[in-house]
Amino acid sequence: MDTIININSLSVSFNNKSVLKDIDLNIIKNKITAIIGPSGCGKSTLLKTLNYMTYEDQFANINGDILFNKINIKEIPKEDLRRRIGLVFQNPTPFPISIYKNMVYGPVYYGKKDKKSLNILVEEKLKISGLYDEVKEDLNASALKLSGGQQQRLCIARALSVEPEVILLDEPCSSLDLKNTANIEKMLKNLSDDYTIIIVTHNLSQAKRISDYTAFILNGELIEYGETQELFTKPKDERTQEYIDGIFG
Amino acid sequence: MRRYAQGYFIKLWCVLSGIIVLSLISYIIIYIIINGISVLNLSFIFDSPKGMPLGSEGGIYPAIIGSLYLTLIACFFASILAISTAIYLLFYCNSIKISNLIHLVIGCIAGIPSIIIGMFGYTLLVYQLRLGRSLIAGGITLGIMIFPVIEVKVERIISEIDSYIISSSYALGVSKTYTFFRLVLPACKRDIIASIALAGSYAMGATAPIILTSAVMFAPTPKSLTSPVMALPYHLYLLISESISIQNAYATTFVLISILLTINIIASLVAKTGR
Repeated sequence: MDTIININSLSVSFNNKSVLKDIDLNIIKNKITAIIGPSGCGKSTLLKTLNYMTYEDQFANINGDILFNKINIKEIPKEDLRRRIGLVFQNPTPFPISIYKNMVYGPVYYGKKDKKSLNILVEEKLKISGLYDEVKEDLNASALKLSGGQQQRLCIARALSVEPEVILLDEPCSSLDLKNTANIEKMLKNLSDDYTIIIVTHNLSQAKRISDYTAFILNGELIEYGETQELFTKPKDERTQEYIDGIFG
Repeated sequence: MRRYAQGYFIKLWCVLSGIIVLSLISYIIIYIIINGISVLNLSFIFDSPKGMPLGSEGGIYPAIIGSLYLTLIACFFASILAISTAIYLLFYCNSIKISNLIHLVIGCIAGIPSIIIGMFGYTLLVYQLRLGRSLIAGGITLGIMIFPVIEVKVERIISEIDSYIISSSYALGVSKTYTFFRLVLPACKRDIIASIALAGSYAMGATAPIILTSAVMFAPTPKSLTSPVMALPYHLYLLISESISIQNAYATTFVLISILLTINIIASLVAKTGR
């Protein structure tokens, strides 16, 4: 199977406080990989490192290599890397402009000026995120007027608007209700045909429902990584068993 | 019971302070209106100063225009510097030491007495750069004075934007410059304009920086950036200090205060409609 991201002995520390320790992880192309673990275990830091965000933190000390399509991400121009590896945050972050402008913000930056193709793109991406039918009447309304779930779907659609290959999601459903969570999960399932998705979650049943592979991180160490089915039914490590049984976390 | 009395006392104290401040301000404004309005008419606003000594008759038109020009130049000059500084500090400066140093310098500039800024402007702009007493020299000197006011406000306004929104823009691979001009600036431009306008009204009322750099007793409305100008606060100072005309001084004060109040009201309306 094709891998798209290879993480080789990655360690991250902030102010000499170690957050990630010697992580080796190969992310498989066009699959959903869930990263689970208790709060503060370094899940989010791992995502932000993949997107080069951690490298800009002056207190961060990063060792090890991350390869994206077999190329070290340090050799890829930062902006190009971020276009190809999108990131969606925990809380919805719609830009305080109209829905339409949210959607064309990235594409216009990358030189897409033609009105017609922009319209097609907006419609296509909003349809993927399941938002199109809800907002098609009023694309010029402020994105801030949408509900929380709609805003988060808009953010995912916006991340898709620059045609990434990988989408990183940092607990995208933690501030949403069940119905919106179900919507987003359905959408992610559909997306995995064309995109590689890495989702950080501390909702175990969500990881079980949607992911193909699961990585379990504890105190900055990768404890176990494998097919979701296997990890949840026959975990190899005791700590994984304890975590999914709800003994801690 | 004691706790109740304490709360009551603090409340009373706050209300009393509010009433004292409000009544002082309204007293000043009403006093100026009553004394100024009897002299005030259209020809006072649209005429040049006349009479002997100059200013005892005629109007203050060149001073109004001069003050507006000085304020515009000061705002233009200061806001470019202030906004650039704020952008640098928030988006590009990675070193806490440098950022602290810049904040210290800004704090120091804010603490310089305005007459000293005026002398600095005189030495550098009027004398060394040979600009002479001119609109541009006075405008820049006032600009130096209001620079810290604008910088501090703009920095606060921009940093109030959710940092995750800015990070989301970076996460699309978008550059800092584009993020600033397409996302941050449109989101807070009304607040920035309002704070520039308020700083402008501070500049318009300042006298010390322009005494040595641009204001003169009499000049026609300025034709170029290098011509000397009349300004409302300086004209007012002359009217009183040379005992030229108390009546005209009241009317001049009235005009100055009206312009400042108008700017303030418009600025807060602009900021409010942005929300």
